[in-house]
Amino acid sequence: MNKTNLENYANEITDKFSKMITKTYQNNDEIHFNVELNDMPKICDYIYKNLNARLATIICSDKQKNGGGFVIRYVFEKEDVFIFVVVSVGQDLSFPSIALQIPSAALYEREIKDMFGLIPTGNPDTRPLVLHEHWPEGIYPLRKGFKLETKPGRQEKEYQFLKVQGEGINEIPVGPVHAGIIEPGHFRFSILGENIINLETRLFYTHKGIEKLAESMKLDDVLFLSERIAGDESVANSTAYCQAIEKISQVEIPNRAKKIRTIFGELERIYNHAGTLAGISTDASFPFGAARLNILKERLMQLNESLSGSRILFGVNKIGGVRCNITDENKKLILKTVSEISDDFEKIIHLLKSKSSFMDRLRGTGTIPKKTAHELGVVGVVARCIGIDVDTRRDHPYASYSLHDHKTPQQLMQHKIEMEKRTGDALTRFEIRVNEVQDSFGIIRESLDLDDDALFTSIPVHLEPFRSALGCAESHRGQTLHWVMIGENNSIFRYKVRTASFCNWSIIEQAVLNDIVPDFPLVNKSLDLSYSGNDL
Amino acid sequence: MLNMITIIIGLIQVLVILVLAPLLTGIIRKTKARTQKRIGASILQPYYDLLKLVRKDEVISDQTSWIFRACPWINFAAITTAAFFIPVFLAYTPFGLVGDLLLVIGLFALGRFFTMLAGLDVASSFGGLGSSREMMISALLEPALFLSIFVVAITYGGTNLSTLISASSNSSFLPHPQIIFAAIGLFIIILGETGRLPFDNPATHLELTMVHETMILEYSGKSLALMEWSQSIKQIILFTLMINIFVPWGISSSILLSTLAVGFLTFIGKISLFGIFVAFLESSVAKWRLFRIPDLIAIAIATSMIGIVLCYL
Repeated sequence: MNKTNLENYANEITDKFSKMITKTYQNNDEIHFNVELNDMPKICDYIYKNLNARLATIICSDKQKNGGGFVIRYVFEKEDVFIFVVVSVGQDLSFPSIALQIPSAALYEREIKDMFGLIPTGNPDTRPLVLHEHWPEGIYPLRKGFKLETKPGRQEKEYQFLKVQGEGINEIPVGPVHAGIIEPGHFRFSILGENIINLETRLFYTHKGIEKLAESMKLDDVLFLSERIAGDESVANSTAYCQAIEKISQVEIPNRAKKIRTIFGELERIYNHAGTLAGISTDASFPFGAARLNILKERLMQLNESLSGSRILFGVNKIGGVRCNITDENKKLILKTVSEISDDFEKIIHLLKSKSSFMDRLRGTGTIPKKTAHELGVVGVVARCIGIDVDTRRDHPYASYSLHDHKTPQQLMQHKIEMEKRTGDALTRFEIRVNEVQDSFGIIRESLDLDDDALFTSIPVHLEPFRSALGCAESHRGQTLHWVMIGENNSIFRYKVRTASFCNWSIIEQAVLNDIVPDFPLVNKSLDLSYSGNDL
Repeated sequence: MLNMITIIIGLIQVLVILVLAPLLTGIIRKTKARTQKRIGASILQPYYDLLKLVRKDEVISDQTSWIFRACPWINFAAITTAAFFIPVFLAYTPFGLVGDLLLVIGLFALGRFFTMLAGLDVASSFGGLGSSREMMISALLEPALFLSIFVVAITYGGTNLSTLISASSNSSFLPHPQIIFAAIGLFIIILGETGRLPFDNPATHLELTMVHETMILEYSGKSLALMEWSQSIKQIILFTLMINIFVPWGISSSILLSTLAVGFLTFIGKISLFGIFVAFLESSVAKWRLFRIPDLIAIAIATSMIGIVLCYL
């Protein structure tokens, strides 16, 4: 962590708003500013526009029982620093909306409105987001007064989709139940002939109440819950959760554990990227390429199973380290499989790239406008495909990733130039995924040089109540953020998860606007969005 | 007596087409599965599927009219009638007196017209989408089909399939260079007519990308069985035309039992090989962008035009 960065930003904001800030404190790479509710939009606006920071998430918590009312934390990410703007909401249960200045805030504010019943005044979209219409009004599941076993009634009400009117405009409703074996989500297309005029998505059909559930569980059990947020991001999510707890308890995990986390994190990224590339091939109707890539994915998952006992890498992490060792025998197996698979991978990608019909389908399809991508705060491959250079592994080095970031100045320059050239279409996303898989093979090989220390360190038995920390990790979809606040008796007071999918889903409505209906599945797959990861 | 025998053989030819149609689909699917390193379902699977569908109940939307219910029958009747004019293993058919190749194309158009109407009739948003795509493609395919047929007709003296195939089986391939161009054109068109890649992906589950499948999305039970059977009959008819016009070797030109047997066996061999060839081709291309499909049809039109020019050189 770069201390100077943190201090610079802290000083800049304190100088500018010294009168408004009531309290400032640091927590590792986080800097917190407590401010009055009415001053918040000004400060947020300054951090967003002048510091050019990305709004990472907005976290609300209910401290009514502890005499604190509702507290909202606006989390901004700038280079390797997280800037928190903390406000308390008064008795009128409303807070000023910043959605008009910072468009990505709109979804978080609607989420807070559904889950806590706080009204974002000035948010143009007053429709519910997480809880659908049949959820009765006045029941807010994340308030402390809501019991986990409550069975709310059902009310009848209709969701208002945006009506596009005009001659020749057709509406196609797709989902929530789809034809393939995929998760539920509703897409409402307005089309003119084959051209998509507007697309509206409706998600949260698989809302599982993860955040509420965590509040009734033990710290160690929440680890398993975090793995199950989205099955294909289990390592990334559990790593982020572990890091949050480790940050709270000020524990440094052993080097061996760091490297093992890196290896499993990259194995997860590879098998999912292979799956996404196969999906892109399927949706471009090139089943041959898809079949070959799916075979690779299967082999990678079998490697996962022989290493960890789980095809999707459940049970790898542990608070304070890792549960799953990598022995010398495992190392040989990894090296052998990785070299075989990387050879096959090269061959298949070469084949795909030489198919003009396949490349033509991807080129120029699903182009994301850069400005919109900035405004919606997208992460991961979706951000990198348009030249927004964010990568949690480099920005907030965790596990052993700091060891792999050894670019020469010339390489850095080339990287920058390459970023500028990116166009944000499905082909760019395809190529970035291919490059990332190749990089991951390299990172795994380098990480196999394990240190000879323990697998984990123990964490303090008792954690101080109301301490909090933010953990983050990069899944194949992008950054996943886990914010944990410890409650009394080592319980969890609030567990806020923001996965990459939550940030990236909204971009799909913009990405399809220059496309025709038959290309939608391809655009969708190339963005690689998760329903389960979004519908917490 | 002789007439009786030709009529019986003619009927057998129709039966062969009707019975073998699902098998050809099975062979193509199996081949595609093998190219993808899958074992794939048995080549008899399409028969089991049809049997299963026939035994199932139908669900018909209350928003539909008689068109939706009549369409499978009209479609099936039109395509089966077309089968009467196709010489399969005997170079002519006794029913050829009643209709020629143009009638076959007309019957296909009739079936397709009703399928498109049925797609619109169900009033679901996908049906209309599929019908509009099918209309776009078929409006372009038909002139291309006529052009390539004309090349063949001019070369072999007429559009009557019996005379046409008799003539082609008696002549060698090389004296007619225009036939090669007609074959290329017709082959592209057949891929489009049968809804194969790169026009349409018959194996997809993505309702947003389908062409033919979207129109029959609302069918179930017996109606779906009829629609699928008709589609595979249409496919085998077009494939048979292709091989009998362009590679007629081995086809029987008399009703001797020995030549008929040879004709039948070579037919089975050729049609399977052709199916396998199409499956390999499908495995090696991705589906084209919808609005680039006209380019592909333009290639078919252009090659057929070259064929026509060559006829008069």
